[in-house]
Amino acid sequence: MVLDIDLVGTISTYLGLPPELVRAVLAPLIYPGLGVFTVIVLFLIWAERKIAAKVQLRVGPYYVSKRLHGALQMLADGIRVAFQEVIIPLEAEKPAYILAPILSFAALTVAFAVVPGGPGIYGFSSSMSLLIVYAAISVSPILIILMGWSSSNKFSYIGAGRETLVTIAGEVTLLASLLSVAMMYKSLDILEIVEIQRQTDIIGLVANPLAALLFFIAALLLTDRIPFDLVLGEQEIVQGPFTEYTGVLYALTLALDYGKLYVLMLLFTSLFLGGWAPFDSVILGVVAVLAKTILLLLLAVFLRSVYARMRIDQVASVFWGRLFPLALLSFIISALVAPLYG
Amino acid sequence: MENRSEKEIPSRKRPNLVKAHLDAITIGLKTLLTRKPMTMMYPEVSEEWPEGYRGVIIYFYDKCIGCSLCSQICPPRAIKMYKVPGDKRLRPGYDIGRCIFCGLCVEICPVDALAESKVSDKVFDKLEQMVFDPIDWTFFTKDLQKEQETRRNKVRVIIDEEVGLRYESTVTK
Repeated sequence: MVLDIDLVGTISTYLGLPPELVRAVLAPLIYPGLGVFTVIVLFLIWAERKIAAKVQLRVGPYYVSKRLHGALQMLADGIRVAFQEVIIPLEAEKPAYILAPILSFAALTVAFAVVPGGPGIYGFSSSMSLLIVYAAISVSPILIILMGWSSSNKFSYIGAGRETLVTIAGEVTLLASLLSVAMMYKSLDILEIVEIQRQTDIIGLVANPLAALLFFIAALLLTDRIPFDLVLGEQEIVQGPFTEYTGVLYALTLALDYGKLYVLMLLFTSLFLGGWAPFDSVILGVVAVLAKTILLLLLAVFLRSVYARMRIDQVASVFWGRLFPLALLSFIISALVAPLYG
Repeated sequence: MENRSEKEIPSRKRPNLVKAHLDAITIGLKTLLTRKPMTMMYPEVSEEWPEGYRGVIIYFYDKCIGCSLCSQICPPRAIKMYKVPGDKRLRPGYDIGRCIFCGLCVEICPVDALAESKVSDKVFDKLEQMVFDPIDWTFFTKDLQKEQETRRNKVRVIIDEEVGLRYESTVTK
């Protein structure tokens, strides 16, 4: 096809570098990594505010770039935050305070290297890539707890405690749904999972809708989306573990949650929506993956305007009492539908 | 008390969880796609106040006879009499920060040198700027009147049962 462009091959022959190296640098830095992620985050925060405003019959961001309905608001805010002074509290544990957000975001970029963003677009392939993504995402709670501890602020302490609870409640459900998916496809390789879905023409959402639902809900919990925004409880604990952060470090903590959401939704696209399913060519495949991911992201931020917040005990009881048994049920469904995929 | 404990509390019907969630999401989507915002775009558009609205007091130096009745009746003593160079009589000065917009000074003025404007959204940077001597007050009045004439779009708020709040332009062309 004309649209097929072998970008990695072209660059590697031009620079004289092995294609694996070019691939491993390009994927986390440009697509599906930081470059595209930045654009998507700027769009997503604007969309979140605009959607919430529309549902509440308000106008939302408007005055920065009126013709684009305020779409450049987040760019303006981002530039402001980037040049803001980074203030470190006197009582803070300085090294941990500075390093924790940087390290947690760096761990997230590992996930960018593994999640595929289209046919043949990935950092490196591995037979364990699903577990690598999960591991990269589950590093961040530890560093968030570290942020809360090192800030030495009462709101940060409470936020860090809540992060512990959220992690324990949410990651069990997430891991259970991931494992039931792996059981269904009999593979832990995301690329292979997408290929299996394309060959059999049955997407995971149809085969095991329960696992998809649980994955989505757990993703909402782990990224502090509104029905479960315990960690960043703005009403009670200013910004949770990130209360004391300013400037670039604050931007990193903010991007951390959106980054996790982005990775999880990319993963959702690959696992349940068949990745680049109807298309073969690179460009159309990338467009398909991005469209599906953005749709999921918009759904995730739309829920903010519909739901009220839940209390801590409600979240714990819902996740352990309702969703965890459902996760066990999704294992049974996986066992039943596994023959579909050969 | 005994009776109450024996009485059976009617058990509330438990909502269907799945249906409730779907209903909430559909209502949200419907609002998102069909409803228009009710916001009045305030700095560009402002509300037309009704007749008799009491705003900032304006003062006409030429009409004033310097009787000082306004300063005597003013409850928060926002109006005080000042000595103006080249004028034998005392003239009123005005402190917007103290004014309670009661309109007593306007009513007691024998020659209508004071009037109520319909402006209540003036902004000042400093407290000192809110205190006017007679000359300042005259210029302030002139500025305010000029501003009112070239005022941005005025709208009237209409409560609509279907839409909610609606805004209708009062400018007739």
